[in-house]
Amino acid sequence: MMNKTNHNSPRLNLANYVFRPEFSSLVILIAMVVITAVLQENFFTIKSIVRNINAFAPLILLAMGAGVVIISGGLDLSAGAALSLFTCVLTTVMKRGEPITGVYAIIITFAVAIMVGVVNGIGIGYLRIPPVIVTFATSYIWLGIGLFLRPTPGGESVAWFRMFYNPAMVDGIHPAIEQFGRVIPPALILVLIACFIWFIVSKTKTGRYIYAVGSNNDNAYASGINTAKVQLLACVINSIFIFLAALFFVGQNQSGDARMGDPLTLRAIASAIVGGIALTGGRGSVYFALVGALILSFVNKIIFFANISYAYQTLVSGLIVIVAIAAPVAYNLHSSKED
Amino acid sequence: MILSGSIFFERYKKIIVAFILIVLLFALGGIIVPNFLTVEQVLFTLKLASFTALFALCQMIVIVAGGGGLDLSVGYAATLTAVLTASVMDGQNANLLTAVLIALVLGSAIGLANGALASFLKLPPLVVTMAMASILQGIVNAYTAGRNITGRPSPILATVAAKSTAGFPNILFVLLAITVVVTIILNKTKWGTILFGVGSNETTAYLSGINVKWVRCIAFMVSGVLASLTGLLLIGNMGIAFKDMASNYVMPSIAAVVVGGVSLTGGDGNYIGVILGAIFLQALTNLLIALGLGDAGKWLVFGIVLYVLLSFYASNRRSR
Amino acid sequence: MITLVILEAIGIKKHFGGVTALANANLRCYQGRITGLLGANGSGKSTMSKIITGVYQADGGEIRYKGRVVNYRSPSEARKDGIAMVFQNLSLVADLTVWQNIVLGAEESRGMFLDNDSARELSTKILAQLLPELDINKKVSQLNPGEMQIVEIAKAVSQNPQLLILDEPTAALEQAQVKNLFNYMRALAKKGVAMIFTSHRLWEVMEICDDATIFRNGENVASIDFEKEEKDPEKIVSYITGETQKERVEEKRKAVTGGTILRIKNLNYGKLKDVSFELKKGEILGVGGLAGQGQLELMHALAGSFPGISCEAELMGKEVKLNKPVNAIKEGILLVPGDKQLEGLFLRHSVLFNIIFPKMSLPHHPLFIPYEKYREECEEIVDVLSIKTPTVDAPVETLSGGNQQKVVVGKWLPFDINVLLLADPAKGVDIGAKRDLYQYIVDQVQEKNMSVILYASDNEELVDYCDRVLIMYEGQIVTTLEGEDISEDTIIACSMRVR
Repeated sequence: MMNKTNHNSPRLNLANYVFRPEFSSLVILIAMVVITAVLQENFFTIKSIVRNINAFAPLILLAMGAGVVIISGGLDLSAGAALSLFTCVLTTVMKRGEPITGVYAIIITFAVAIMVGVVNGIGIGYLRIPPVIVTFATSYIWLGIGLFLRPTPGGESVAWFRMFYNPAMVDGIHPAIEQFGRVIPPALILVLIACFIWFIVSKTKTGRYIYAVGSNNDNAYASGINTAKVQLLACVINSIFIFLAALFFVGQNQSGDARMGDPLTLRAIASAIVGGIALTGGRGSVYFALVGALILSFVNKIIFFANISYAYQTLVSGLIVIVAIAAPVAYNLHSSKED
Repeated sequence: MILSGSIFFERYKKIIVAFILIVLLFALGGIIVPNFLTVEQVLFTLKLASFTALFALCQMIVIVAGGGGLDLSVGYAATLTAVLTASVMDGQNANLLTAVLIALVLGSAIGLANGALASFLKLPPLVVTMAMASILQGIVNAYTAGRNITGRPSPILATVAAKSTAGFPNILFVLLAITVVVTIILNKTKWGTILFGVGSNETTAYLSGINVKWVRCIAFMVSGVLASLTGLLLIGNMGIAFKDMASNYVMPSIAAVVVGGVSLTGGDGNYIGVILGAIFLQALTNLLIALGLGDAGKWLVFGIVLYVLLSFYASNRRSR
Repeated sequence: MITLVILEAIGIKKHFGGVTALANANLRCYQGRITGLLGANGSGKSTMSKIITGVYQADGGEIRYKGRVVNYRSPSEARKDGIAMVFQNLSLVADLTVWQNIVLGAEESRGMFLDNDSARELSTKILAQLLPELDINKKVSQLNPGEMQIVEIAKAVSQNPQLLILDEPTAALEQAQVKNLFNYMRALAKKGVAMIFTSHRLWEVMEICDDATIFRNGENVASIDFEKEEKDPEKIVSYITGETQKERVEEKRKAVTGGTILRIKNLNYGKLKDVSFELKKGEILGVGGLAGQGQLELMHALAGSFPGISCEAELMGKEVKLNKPVNAIKEGILLVPGDKQLEGLFLRHSVLFNIIFPKMSLPHHPLFIPYEKYREECEEIVDVLSIKTPTVDAPVETLSGGNQQKVVVGKWLPFDINVLLLADPAKGVDIGAKRDLYQYIVDQVQEKNMSVILYASDNEELVDYCDRVLIMYEGQIVTTLEGEDISEDTIIACSMRVR
């Protein structure tokens, strides 16, 4: 047992607080912002901030989804493939010049998103296959379907879908909305929607049970909780967050791509871990997955400014993941030896 | 070894299922697609399957060692080896030894890193090896950025990996030799016994005096070395190295192991079954391509096969 | 005072494999009364509680709750009917706070949202009587074992049960906490809640219970109403062990004359505190005590399972390091672990595989396994131990529990055994196999002059086979029994610290 700390000692209390993963991630984030602000001129202009939000939003959404799944005791290796699939479905249903198809596309893709969450959730929760393996398998199912729909990147999109990226680019948009979009980019609204969804869920039984099941599946079950259903719901929430990211992507690129999401899977998981969510489940905050995603995004930016070639990007993000997951374990090994 | 009938069937049940699946698949292919069952076509299928089978061997060793082991970095280790050794070999037999040495060093270093993180620090192997995959791909990207990958495999390597003798692809002889060696090691030596024991029940193995963490770490190292060597064979077969030449083998390597009846919880497995799994997947791929379903169909069907088999095998531990 | 029977269990039977846990057990609980359950390890009192709450299903007999026959299939079903149980192995979720755990699975909602205010209020109210200084916003992972136990109790109480079963609730508690718990139990009893209370600490049962039922060998052998009868601990112990001292089956073996083979000094690890003892050559040394007092840990420590151990160990005058299993194995200190399936066997592999496996850890074992030789050796072992298996190639999971246990013993036979550590070898083994096993070990001890340390949860085994018995209590050796002192009576009394 490591928690033998004397709670009357203020010094130790402070230490406990400082060594909480959430706290260190916030400190790191502030440091990142400062470094970036030094490197980049006009960092604090609205234009630059909007650009950054647009660049960061997809990872933030996936990281929050990954956070929910990890807290529930799962892990989703299919997130990137699911994101790709959703962009393919959106751009397949939509027909250029037929604005109404955009609505159909959103409805159909949302249904697909629910399905994706349910299939993962059945594997993890009801069939009790190890989460990493089952989502590894489903990632190829999503890839296969995506490639059926979009063998090569492309597809059609209705013009108003740019709403999800930059309202100013939509012809005939109301000037007020256009002006609003300049300051509050849609990407931010999508992230806020995700935060709001989680805020609501976290106030319900489902939110509480996601933590309980991730912390100790057997004891949660013994307390009368339907653990399989809870894990399935976590997968569905994750899928909805990925769906929001897909809206943004298609808004930005007006096309779908069955492989575009692949690199995001690992980065999303890494973000959640950097944000202090424990891979063992039950611990951490979904909002801090957002912080983790920001840290990873700023690392990328700094690499960009440091004139390190873009080619090193995958290398660096791989290293960050290793450091991020190994550091807490190494720290624990160290401190338990002191005991 | 004399086994009573029921024990024999129990032990080889999954392999028998895999074999029946292959026969059915070839029969189906023969009916639907012309030329599917010609000798050339079948040998070609076997040749392609042997590369999957080699990657699946790496995978199998890590999986048999248990502890939720899986190695998602195999394809990337192979790509990196191929890309780095291409220019070293430069089409000369004299340079082959250097290339092999590079493969050995690279493979064991990658495996050691994977093993140390997964086994000693107890991090989830899937995340570790996935991150390792990303690092290796990053190195490949950085190495190839702004330049062409030059160099060709040495002729000997090309002969072994790509050419045929009397109609039989040489790689099949390589696979046969490896199969014999692997089967002997797994079933006749203490290494195999220790590997099965550690995967089957790590507590029992530990209490029997085995250093479980080292065994798992070594399993990752063997996987890394074999993956690197397979990368050499791959460049021998293809003649050139390129950025993502082997990354597509990761998924089939795992699927072949599962189809081949190796339990993902470790402690059990038979390489012949895994080879059958690889042949099954290759035949399936060919059939899908012949039907015009190509990549999309391949990944979709692989994913579904894996999901269905996993839920089938998981069914006996669903009850609490 | 008129007391209403709230629960009545009649003629309950329960078998696990070939082992009878409950033969014909009866129990009665009354509204507003606390019933104590007493009995030695494995007497069936825990099984009884678990059958009432639906963890297990009875093989025979019936349970009447509030006048109707019930048969729960899960604890949550029983809970809905007002029967709550405080489990020995806690059912808490470490990453949630105290108050979240107390209402877990039974949260109140206001609309779609959780009603956290009422949950906090309820938790504060219950804990105010049990452990007022506990901060309900702390996470359970930050609590000490005693506090966790209190939260577990609060969780069971939070749903206003009419029957509350407390299985060893005091094991982890400090004196003051026990006092609070007892006051709270009395308050609950006043409100009409019926309670079943089990504890190894006899004085606790005598203090808090209104009556007690004593179990022995799966049957209720006595009931004492403390309001009418005097509280006599010696009498209760005699009920627990059986009134008549049965004749020893075999005459006591000749006194052990050999010199010291193993000397352990100041062994400290986890719950083990300053354990020191000596083992003589040719001796069977028993380790007894209540369940979970560190006996299993001691066996594992001697087998080298704990790398972080601190201990001075000498084998035949030579210092040995017990920080790795392989060190112990090389010295011939060999463990037959308590949980054979989890710690002793490779279930899916053959008898042959299991028996030859430990040889692999030895340095200088040839790379190629000499199967011919090993097969003969293995068949001999199967023969000697009369392991019932069609061939040595049959997977051990197809064998019965007793034969599986023999395989675990068998894998050490090819070694030069100096000290054989037996951790509850007869657990889950039928009587025939048990006798075979012990007879073989006694023969070996005499023949080869090896030494044995035997931990048995069944005191009868200690009495029948041991030359000396160490009694453990909370990780320490508190008593050493020798010669004529070794009887079930004294073992129980020393274990419960009556004497």
